[in-house]
Amino acid sequence: MTNHRPSGDGVLPVRRGLVETPFGRHLRPFSLAEDWMPWAGYVSARRFETVEAEYFAIRNQATLFDISPMHKYAITGKDALAVVNRLVTRNAAKMGDNRVGYSVWCDEDGFVIDDGTLFRFSENSFRLCSQEPQYSWLHDIAWGFDVSIEDQSEAIAGLALQGPTSFSVLHAAGFEGVEKLKPFGIMELSPGLTISRTGFTGDLGYELWVDADKADALWERLWPAGRNFGLRPIGYEALNMARIEAGFIAAGVDFQPIHHAQRPSRGRTPFELGLDWLVSFDKGYFNGRRALTAARQRGPRTMLVALEIEGHKPAQDAFVYHGRKKEAGHVTSALWSPTCKRNLALAELRAPYGISVTDDLWVEIYHPKEGKWEKVMAQAKIIERPFFKNDRRSATPPGRF
Amino acid sequence: MTHFDAIVIGAGHNGLAAAATLAGAGRKVVVLEKNAVPGGMAVNRAIAPGFDCPAMAHLLSNLDAAEVKALGLDKHGLAHAATDLPTVSLSADGRHVVSDAKGIRYADGATHADEKQFLALRARLVRFAAKLAELKRNPPPSLTGIEWGEALSLGKLALGIRRMGKEDTREFLRVLLSNAYDTILDEVEDGPLAGAFALDSVLGGHIGPRSPGTVLTLMYRLANGGAKHLPRGGMGAVMRAFEGAAKAAGAEIRYGAAVARMIVESDRITGVVLADGTEISGAQVLSSLDPKTTMILAGVGHFDAEMIRRARNIRSKGCTAKVNLALSGAPAFAGLSDAQHRGRLVYAPSLAAMEKAFNRAKYGELPTDPVLEVTVPSLSDPGLVEGDGHVLSAVVQYVPYALKQGWSDESRKALADIVVDCLETFAPGLKASVVASHVMSPLDIETETGAPGGHWHHGEMIADQMLMLRPAPGIERYALPVAGLYLCGSSTHPGGDVTGVPGCNAAKASLQSKLGRVAA
Repeated sequence: MTNHRPSGDGVLPVRRGLVETPFGRHLRPFSLAEDWMPWAGYVSARRFETVEAEYFAIRNQATLFDISPMHKYAITGKDALAVVNRLVTRNAAKMGDNRVGYSVWCDEDGFVIDDGTLFRFSENSFRLCSQEPQYSWLHDIAWGFDVSIEDQSEAIAGLALQGPTSFSVLHAAGFEGVEKLKPFGIMELSPGLTISRTGFTGDLGYELWVDADKADALWERLWPAGRNFGLRPIGYEALNMARIEAGFIAAGVDFQPIHHAQRPSRGRTPFELGLDWLVSFDKGYFNGRRALTAARQRGPRTMLVALEIEGHKPAQDAFVYHGRKKEAGHVTSALWSPTCKRNLALAELRAPYGISVTDDLWVEIYHPKEGKWEKVMAQAKIIERPFFKNDRRSATPPGRF
Repeated sequence: MTHFDAIVIGAGHNGLAAAATLAGAGRKVVVLEKNAVPGGMAVNRAIAPGFDCPAMAHLLSNLDAAEVKALGLDKHGLAHAATDLPTVSLSADGRHVVSDAKGIRYADGATHADEKQFLALRARLVRFAAKLAELKRNPPPSLTGIEWGEALSLGKLALGIRRMGKEDTREFLRVLLSNAYDTILDEVEDGPLAGAFALDSVLGGHIGPRSPGTVLTLMYRLANGGAKHLPRGGMGAVMRAFEGAAKAAGAEIRYGAAVARMIVESDRITGVVLADGTEISGAQVLSSLDPKTTMILAGVGHFDAEMIRRARNIRSKGCTAKVNLALSGAPAFAGLSDAQHRGRLVYAPSLAAMEKAFNRAKYGELPTDPVLEVTVPSLSDPGLVEGDGHVLSAVVQYVPYALKQGWSDESRKALADIVVDCLETFAPGLKASVVASHVMSPLDIETETGAPGGHWHHGEMIADQMLMLRPAPGIERYALPVAGLYLCGSSTHPGGDVTGVPGCNAAKASLQSKLGRVAA
């Protein structure tokens, strides 16, 4: 009989259960809420104290979010650029060295497999950061090419330092040269520690990538430096609010990654996610190109749109109607934005809604009121993303707040 | 630079059939063959000076009359040295079993106890096979939408099967995906009779009689009633007929012209580059190579990763070798008449023995008790040898592609010895009469012909790799996604054996599309 229990000597051939990230032991003491969630096999904070305080820290102070669980893959070798361009829909040849590009990649039917950030160090060296595991897919893509694919998910730990005072924290920590770093730029701070001016908040912010064995040293340098700049750790909930305000889409929320969809009809093309600008048809063949060429001619079947909704009831999971009657789609992400002071949502509408028919949209919101459900039909209008825009995000040198 | 309407890669039977069809339709065609002669797996080789022998394939079974007529093969030298060869199944106890179109009996004329059951089984499978044969001449049904005409012909097929009657229809559906072992042993005792019949279900494949789907493979081989013919002049002569037909239709054939890569511009094929650097421009390329090799030549980057993955995973592990012997005199098999010597001699003592032999091959070992299909073509076709000698051609089933100790002259010799020793027990004196031998391992077949794994059919002929799943879903209609690029080899529907049908089907598919614009 197979023994599924840990054996007496505690030695197991495989790791079981969730594990801490390299920053786990530094973060754990801050958790008053003890509200943890799993993320790619790691323990990740949903919140440390209150979501509201953490959210406002993103927009007014500086925050640390542990992104170590993110999947990270090094794509290196002679054909690295060719492989990356075969993978993603954008043209990585047009990216400069030490630049980061938001990317999506598609299957043979042109449906998005996942989105993520592509780090270009040079023509022969890239890193892909993604929400979903991509190791075997990268090997499929790379077959026949001269590259090596390395899963660096465990070897590299990451911290997202986001918020208006984030540059001040870095400055106080003594990291030099960061003031010259432009949005989507990458620089090496010291061997085994790189920084990119990227993030999921739409605000001024950085992501620090460090060899796992140097994570402690980074924490010890960064944390004290943040004392006067309101630095605090945050969890997923607060970040998710900021990412909706920033208008970023989330895999598994705003679209279904096709490799996880049981129903092929759930697949979405980049066009249907409003990501036309990410698809480069003039770079030669890439995965899904023929399907996307056909999809472009056929036109989108659905459209992910940004909605502003009257009132202040968050429209999470609500149905969207046209003319109050005809079902037109559903909300995928929503919040009352404390910073924009607007009721915002991302919604997937079925053609022609959101494409040729964009007016007379209504959202049916159910909300609990002290033990009783109430329903409102709120008018919605399609607006541009991002909802939250601020010049400090891209100012170089960045402001010292 | 000369421009062609179509470039055909490989001058095997399928490449030549495609070229003949295209040229016959008025297209300007060139065939590029890396070897010095046509044929691919159907060539002759001199084992020793004056001993010409079919190097790999040695019998014709599935080349149907419609194909011969359409290509005009008979006008270009296709002739038979012997037709409807009797199959003689050798038995260690000397009670060899002979089967032919007329029936079955022991070699000495005695009646076989299983005669009635066996003939009923064979007749039934031949009936089923005739129905399925209709599927071969057309492209397979598409997975992505079907045209009215196709739907009609599929409907006719279904109706045809239904009209076989209730019992036959039920039996057809029962055995369709079953294995040869169960289906045959339901009717007859395991032994030489069953073994010889089952051999057709596995010959050329990495499958045993117990492998699921082997009844379908068997029916495929029974499509022409299961008759086997010996071509005059060996298979090399058959290929000369294919070559003649292609040339007469106006196709140009270049030998020693190995394709190094294809040229793709804006998702459209525009030509090929030869190993010597010569560029040949063409609006279409039809490749008789397997899908993976073809895609590598065109550039992996032009295909979706899923397509490449499917092509990489086509099961095409060869499991069949060839041992050819030059003999100083005619072999004398004990207990066989002259006419029986001219037949197809099979050593497949039982299904159990075959399955055991397959087990050894699975684990990379040479056979101890080889499963053989032997002809002595020079008995019916004396032109193959000069003087009194003879050539013996033995297909050896269950010889692994990935031999544990690796393929070397030593392992080739070991295989030849195993085969000769086995034959010696039936034809005493044969061993002493061996003048020279020539062994082709699955690896040698791959090296010479480009067939992946040295597999006869460029891909296992089992249900999950047949019809609209052949060679892989999404490319079942001969066209690859790069415009102007087609597959025309035996990896495509309807599959293997010397038929030329995949080539003809592919050519017809390519004729339906307009020629692309020539790149300036």
